[in-house]
Amino acid sequence: MQTSKKIVILGHFGVGKTSLIRRFVEDSFSDNYKVSIGVHITKKVVEIAAGDSMSLILWDLEGTDDLETIRNSYLLGTHGVIFVFDVTRPSTFQNINTDLKIVTEKLPNIPLLVIGNKTDLVVIKELEELLNKNQISTDFLTSAKTGDAVNDVFLKLVNQLNGAT
Amino acid sequence: MELLNKYKKSYTNNDIQFVFVNDSRVILESDQAFLKLTIGDFIYNTHPFFECLHALENTPEEETTFNCVHLNIHDKEYTTDIKIIKKIDGILLVLHNLTQHYLTYQSIAQSRNESIINGELIILKNSELEERERFKNSFIQNFSHELRNPLTNIISITNIIANTELTGEQKNMINFLRESNANLKLMLEDILSISMIASGKLQLRNKEFNIYELFNLLRFTYGAKAKEKGLEFTLTSDIKIPEYVEGDYLRIYQILTNLLDNAFKYTQDGSINFNIELNQKRANKVSLRFKISDTGIGIPQEKLATVFNSFTQLKTAEQQNGNGLGLAIVKGLLQQMESDIKVHSKLNRGSTFYFDIVLKYPLHPTIKPDIKEKKYKHKEEGKFKVLLVEDDIHLQTTLFKILINTEVFFVDLINDGAKVIEELVNNSYDIILMDINLPNLSGDKITHAIREFPFKNIKKIPIIGLTANAYEDDIKAYLKAGMNAVVPKPFDHDVLLKTMFKYLK
Ligand SMILES: Nc1nc2c(ncn2[C@@H]2O[C@H](COP(=O)(O)OP(=O)(O)OP(=O)(O)O)[C@@H](O)[C@H]2O)c(=O)[nH]1
Ligand SMILES: [Mg+2]
Repeated sequence: MQTSKKIVILGHFGVGKTSLIRRFVEDSFSDNYKVSIGVHITKKVVEIAAGDSMSLILWDLEGTDDLETIRNSYLLGTHGVIFVFDVTRPSTFQNINTDLKIVTEKLPNIPLLVIGNKTDLVVIKELEELLNKNQISTDFLTSAKTGDAVNDVFLKLVNQLNGAT
Repeated sequence: MELLNKYKKSYTNNDIQFVFVNDSRVILESDQAFLKLTIGDFIYNTHPFFECLHALENTPEEETTFNCVHLNIHDKEYTTDIKIIKKIDGILLVLHNLTQHYLTYQSIAQSRNESIINGELIILKNSELEERERFKNSFIQNFSHELRNPLTNIISITNIIANTELTGEQKNMINFLRESNANLKLMLEDILSISMIASGKLQLRNKEFNIYELFNLLRFTYGAKAKEKGLEFTLTSDIKIPEYVEGDYLRIYQILTNLLDNAFKYTQDGSINFNIELNQKRANKVSLRFKISDTGIGIPQEKLATVFNSFTQLKTAEQQNGNGLGLAIVKGLLQQMESDIKVHSKLNRGSTFYFDIVLKYPLHPTIKPDIKEKKYKHKEEGKFKVLLVEDDIHLQTTLFKILINTEVFFVDLINDGAKVIEELVNNSYDIILMDINLPNLSGDKITHAIREFPFKNIKKIPIIGLTANAYEDDIKAYLKAGMNAVVPKPFDHDVLLKTMFKYLK
């Protein structure tokens, strides 16, 4: 049996949304930054049990620092959401609580994972201190570049979605 | 309209495609305007975007538009606006190919985002550098302060030992020790100076002084040094230079001695000439040019740009001592005086360093000639009673010895800030020597309390602060709290005694 789930990836621009998806789907990475506009949609099928799989429809949205402006049509029928910020740029997480509030207002009652990406560029211990100091809690700290924790993000979401069905 | 229809078709048709799917999402019809779809196929198989049709089932809207959707179909990417319209017999899809339009939009977004991110990263980088610089400077400052107390002890105890009866060999060793102490103290001061300059904490203290006396002092000191080293030293100055000027005597002295020491260090034979010219004398300001030339090893052309950097040292001088901060300090101090140091140099021929500074000069100097202190002033009867408030055991001993050796002091010691007032009420003191960092109550707070005291004999006792926080701001704060003077650690015992006698009657 195959179920299909729509996952939306949100966050400010340049935080690595496209790169995380590329790492997850194709297991590749590029240092070049190509700004995404609108939405790119890709699909990846994951096994959840013998004979059962889940087809993830990944909606990679144009980055924005004003989440209010996200087109509502993009969010229709979303099952899970991943909010990504860039651990090297405070501007992408300093208003995270306001950002997340907007996200949960627009997408209530669905699994939401908060991801700090680009951990390969910082010292993890210092990062954790910084996040603690700013009272920011994350589900995963990832690096699309090294692949660190990237699969875990999607696995966790798959598990949450699987439990929900 | 036939003509128009024919042409209109060729311009619009290719960009707008109509597709009709039934309720099972099977493609029934497609005009194939720009996408070749397989009739009879599931539309989901065309592109995962179309899976959203499923979600739309439950929405009340008849029509939903998705802007800027990227569709990769048959290895080609289209950027489209897609309108999905519910009909009774199925779903009508209107796909608008806007690839060209969105390409322009993308390139605008690209440069906007890139420049915002770059801007952010530059700011971050700068603040990181500043933070590192700040950390470095405060580390150096704290560390140098920490070193002052033990160094003061070493210097003072060396002086005390030097004044006891010694064998010839011991005397040599003590001289060596004194020289090392002096070097260490100098280095410590240099490091402190450079980090204070770098962190902007150094403030100039402009005061009236006799510049001719400064010239005489330098002529004397460096004349002797030259004789010792077999060099020639001349100091010439324009006689039209006013005798009294206003400036930071200590810093000017520091600049000149740094430059002269440097000249001596790098010159093995020949001469060193120090020349002070008058550039201008106008209203109440003089501009002076200080020029120090040597016939030393010179500086290679490629090094000229970096000699004023911190921790830079010429290669040939590696065997010689010195930490290479001298010129950086000179440059920093001169910058504070709104001046700049310049250098000309020829390898193996020598170097000339010069700079101009503008100093005020009072038309009616207010300085009175120095009243020389007698060796040790005596109290009319008995000894001066000193209250020493200090918690560092080594400093206690050192200070105690310095004071007792003069034979004119009687010393009481307290190491707890909170007990000072009680002690003052029960005894009468001629002067208080007070450390600042004390347990329970800090020196400046005690001072403040004493100055507020209702009894005149206590309220007026001279208080001399002892501190390793030799910053302008700190010292000002201590004076403001009511201290009569502040002697920085490590202190020279002559300076300490001289300061004390100034306030003793
Ligand atoms: N070092 C490092 N660079 C990363 C990582 N993830 C992404 N990047 C880089 O960051 C830049 C932006 O990555 P994208 O994946 O395009 O970011 P985005 O969130 O999709 O950006 P928008 O589409 O503009 O919203 C690119 O240059 C990537 O190479 C990471 O984990 N480590
Ligand atoms: Mg992207």
